[in-house]
Amino acid sequence: MSKPKVGIFGLTGCAGDQLAILNCEDRLLDLVALIDIRDFPMASSDGNQECALDIAMVEGAVVTMRDARRLRAIRQRSATLVALGTCAVWGGVAAMDRDLDRAKLLEEVYGELGKEYDSCPARALHEIVKVDHNITGCPIEKEHFLAAVASLLNGDPPLYPAYPVCTECRMRENNCLLIERGELCCGPITVAGCDARCPQLRIPCVGCRGPVTDANPASALALFEEKGFDRERIWARLRTFAPVGVAS
Amino acid sequence: MKILKLPKGKLDLFASVVQQFGELHAPVEQDGKYVFKRLARWPDARLEYDRTILPPKKYFLPPRETLFRYRPGEGFVPSTDGLDQRIVLFGVHACDVYAINILDQVFLGKYKDPYYQARRRNIAIIGIDCTPDKQCFCRSMRADFVDHGFDLFFYDTGDYYQALVGTALGDDMVLATGNLFEPVGPADIDAYKERSWNKRRAFHLDVEIRDLSEIFEMEYESGIWDQLGRKCLSCGSCSMVCPTCYCYDVSDDVELGSRAGKRTRSWDSCLYFNHALVASGENFRRDRASRIKFRFYHKQRGFVAEYGRPSCVGCGRCVSACPVNIDTAQVIDRLRRVEDVGSR
Repeated sequence: MSKPKVGIFGLTGCAGDQLAILNCEDRLLDLVALIDIRDFPMASSDGNQECALDIAMVEGAVVTMRDARRLRAIRQRSATLVALGTCAVWGGVAAMDRDLDRAKLLEEVYGELGKEYDSCPARALHEIVKVDHNITGCPIEKEHFLAAVASLLNGDPPLYPAYPVCTECRMRENNCLLIERGELCCGPITVAGCDARCPQLRIPCVGCRGPVTDANPASALALFEEKGFDRERIWARLRTFAPVGVAS
Repeated sequence: MKILKLPKGKLDLFASVVQQFGELHAPVEQDGKYVFKRLARWPDARLEYDRTILPPKKYFLPPRETLFRYRPGEGFVPSTDGLDQRIVLFGVHACDVYAINILDQVFLGKYKDPYYQARRRNIAIIGIDCTPDKQCFCRSMRADFVDHGFDLFFYDTGDYYQALVGTALGDDMVLATGNLFEPVGPADIDAYKERSWNKRRAFHLDVEIRDLSEIFEMEYESGIWDQLGRKCLSCGSCSMVCPTCYCYDVSDDVELGSRAGKRTRSWDSCLYFNHALVASGENFRRDRASRIKFRFYHKQRGFVAEYGRPSCVGCGRCVSACPVNIDTAQVIDRLRRVEDVGSR
């Protein structure tokens, strides 16, 4: 059986998810023994930019028309498309202020030159093309990427938690930052998978992995307000990583 | 049952002797809360604690554990990691021992769980009496006293710990200390009875569980469930900290490039969206309200039908772990009250 052809791409983002893949150092040889990485611009400049792909993994949000064109082209040549990281899945940091006047923002940052720039309100991949699987995280967990590849090679969909950070935080028997210290911790509405890395270090969850399936933002909002946080601050925190999730 | 007493001043000595029966674990302080942990040194133990964040359940049914490794053509090899480790859990409250007895009914009943069974065999339990706080309702749940499920159980009677010897292992522990333990006399019996009486009067909460199962049956359509559903975050904290929530999820971690892998189980909760999601895509409890309702019904009604008593022991952990203050005792109270029927 020939090895599946894989492409790994980055749109607008910090490239942290692609870096997480390259950081799978001791597993990279196992990986290339199983998959044929044809196009991975961040790792090699002489990829095949035309060939059909079995699996495409795409990081970053769509922030320019060029991003949108690239994404559509990737979708067209790929049987399976996997969104990689919070920006690709939920819009991420770039989409934080996507409802503000774009022209005004461009002028504020770039002055007169801004008018010329190719820039559109940031969107998650699923708002442009069909996405088959999501690996969320800021950045993604290496283990999730490897597990996803293992599952896809077997023809299985990758499975991810449908429970929030609180679950893993409680499993680790941490003190609760929200209840005991009154901190603005997004654990109850953020999808798990990080093993509560931040609360374990007494840093409240900022929601970097995006919302959990069937989150209850209305109750969370009421709870945060009850703890004394004003709406503006709560809203700023909630939309930082997953404005698409919060709006929906 | 053998009843003896240990002079309080000799508790350190007892603790050092008891270590020959296993690694000593006890409640230690963690930022104002308590957790069961391996003791680095005996003085770290906090025997006058309210409740630990996680119940002792974590020792018998760990949050995540590997069940077996499998490889096509070779079958599977059960994981035995840590199963034969001998541990002495020192300072378990009555409600938590009661909860372990409930878990025994589930895991050592008709279908025996070998992992649970091995751990239950190798982990000794030394119980200790406690003073109820504002969130304790173990007495209402008939779990403020246990007569089995422990090896030794200590009652603080002032200058002594009065000890109930629950098993042969407990008796071995007593014997291993030489003559540290003494027989009890009339004054000790009075001291015990006084303690028992005082504890009874110390409860702030009183929940009536008689005919509760029937009231749950009647209130199946109560508006309370929708109200709770709007509030509940489905965060699962209550299940994680519950000493009798035993639902687990099973998943296979496949090795890269093969069909071999390992099967793990991890704590699950009926509050999660996918708990009742099945292969066809059907979800029997899609609404959050139906999920939190299910949790209450399983604890207070379903378990009664199956095992003759609620699976709740009134430890109060779910109350202290709920970010939105959903309070089991209050919910039961509201269900019982006539004036609240209007909420239907």
